[in-house]
Amino acid sequence: MNYEVYSKIEVSDDFNIFDFISTGKNGDILKRVVFSKTEEVGVYNLALGDVEEDNEMNDHVITDNGDRNKVLATVAAIVEAYTKRFPFRWIIFRGNTEERTRLYRMALGLHLDELSSLYEIWAYKDEQLVPFTKNLKTTAFLIKRKIS
Amino acid sequence: MKKTTNHKSELMGKEITFTVSEELNKLQGKVLAQKKLAEANKLLRKLKTPLPK
Repeated sequence: MNYEVYSKIEVSDDFNIFDFISTGKNGDILKRVVFSKTEEVGVYNLALGDVEEDNEMNDHVITDNGDRNKVLATVAAIVEAYTKRFPFRWIIFRGNTEERTRLYRMALGLHLDELSSLYEIWAYKDEQLVPFTKNLKTTAFLIKRKIS
Repeated sequence: MKKTTNHKSELMGKEITFTVSEELNKLQGKVLAQKKLAEANKLLRKLKTPLPK
């Protein structure tokens, strides 16, 4: 994969909260990536959003700053670092909208060979987990580092 | 002196610098992105198959 990334990232000591600045047609926008423990042991939810003036995270905003691929590549790089630190954690993620989930599916499908070398990739479909395949319509995704 | 670590992304072939932020440290332990988390929990509760081993 040859995408640009935002290379300066702020992080919390516990490595669960990450901030970086998206620079695009609407100016500089502070983005936040958060990994939160879910009710299922060992599963962490991945959320991406904008940080608003009150320092609250808006994870349902559509920013349209013209740097979508760079933001997604940065999130992918953060996930890579996160799962290197916590290789036994499952990460669950989905889009805010069907279109966004479809975008994630396309991105995963496009780079499935490379991603599969690093991660187990599963799809949440009809209340079951099935191995992710290209073009599989799904509600959410679960990934975990492959342990070599 | 801020604490930094570098990570070379295998996938992107790029290096990223992580710098520990005291502002973000203040958020540790708080539930962020609550709506997204609630949605994830709802999906996981409905899951009929166990997590793969």
